[in-house]
Amino acid sequence: MEHHASYIAKWLTEIFGLARYQWTGFGILERNGQLVHESFSILERYDHLLNASLAALAAMIIATWIRSRMNKIPSPIQQIFEMVISGLDDMVKASIAHHAERYLPFIGTIALFVFFNNLFGITPGLSPGTSNWNVTLGAALVVFCYYNFHGMKAKGFWSYWGHFAGPVVFLIPLMFPLEILGLLSRNLSHSLRLFGNIAGEHLVAGIFFSILPLFLPIPMLFLGLFFGLIQTFVFTVLSIIYLSGAVAHDH
Amino acid sequence: MKKFFTTAFIFGISLSLFGMQEATPAVTKSIFEGQFLAHLSLAIAAVGCGLAQGKAVAAACEGIARNPQAAGEIRTTMIIGLALIEALVIYALVAAFAIK
Repeated sequence: MEHHASYIAKWLTEIFGLARYQWTGFGILERNGQLVHESFSILERYDHLLNASLAALAAMIIATWIRSRMNKIPSPIQQIFEMVISGLDDMVKASIAHHAERYLPFIGTIALFVFFNNLFGITPGLSPGTSNWNVTLGAALVVFCYYNFHGMKAKGFWSYWGHFAGPVVFLIPLMFPLEILGLLSRNLSHSLRLFGNIAGEHLVAGIFFSILPLFLPIPMLFLGLFFGLIQTFVFTVLSIIYLSGAVAHDH
Repeated sequence: MKKFFTTAFIFGISLSLFGMQEATPAVTKSIFEGQFLAHLSLAIAAVGCGLAQGKAVAAACEGIARNPQAAGEIRTTMIIGLALIEALVIYALVAAFAIK
């Protein structure tokens, strides 16, 4: 597939004077019946990582800035963040029965990271980090490790993994592989959903832009803002559901 | 309805085959490999997803109309369900990205 680096990667390459290489198996195109091997600098090659780090940095800087300027009379931006955090708090408390406040920081972090990444899709010069599968798979794997760890912490090692074995002893060889497969394929659906939505939306916006760059992409960009929010919400809600499934006690 | 869908499907396939033949006469590659198949798979997935999502949203609207106080909870559940339905089309989209 053709690789379009974001403008910020190109600018940084020009500013720092980075060397451009031909990466093996990457950027090979067919133009007019001839194979062309394009060359990219390291920033252009790993564009998604650059944008994901920028998103993480932006989330950290904005959150710290709000945190340092907290007031009894809230500024508009503080009100927005309070609304977001109370919404997340309600969501976590609605599905996790015990010690829900323990998991709020992680859920909030992952939601902010994904949201800023999605927002980069409508920012000029940047490309969304989540339109590459590596970034979303990373986020999904972090969530995976987190809920497995907390499931084991809340229930104990044998009790947690024993849950996957089913209720009856002679069903274990049948149930255990299936449940483990289900657990692992959760990652796939969790990450591919975010990646496919954002990448597809970005692609359609790009096609609209190539048809008529002036006014045509505007509705698509608006839709991109909306989709970014919805996909962040879905990613967060699914993380919470997996987490609540892992840490739920039987009474 | 079934007949209509079948006819439309066959008509669409024959039309695209005809169009492909006219556009590129000297291609030795079969039509059922490469991007055409990816696009067709995406179209089929989108049909099913559209029907399913319409059904889900209709049921949610009905639920909200009957009990407006449960609107928030129904909306959240509906969005999760829509995302799960949509994921199947997204798999087709990813496959369409992957196939060249």
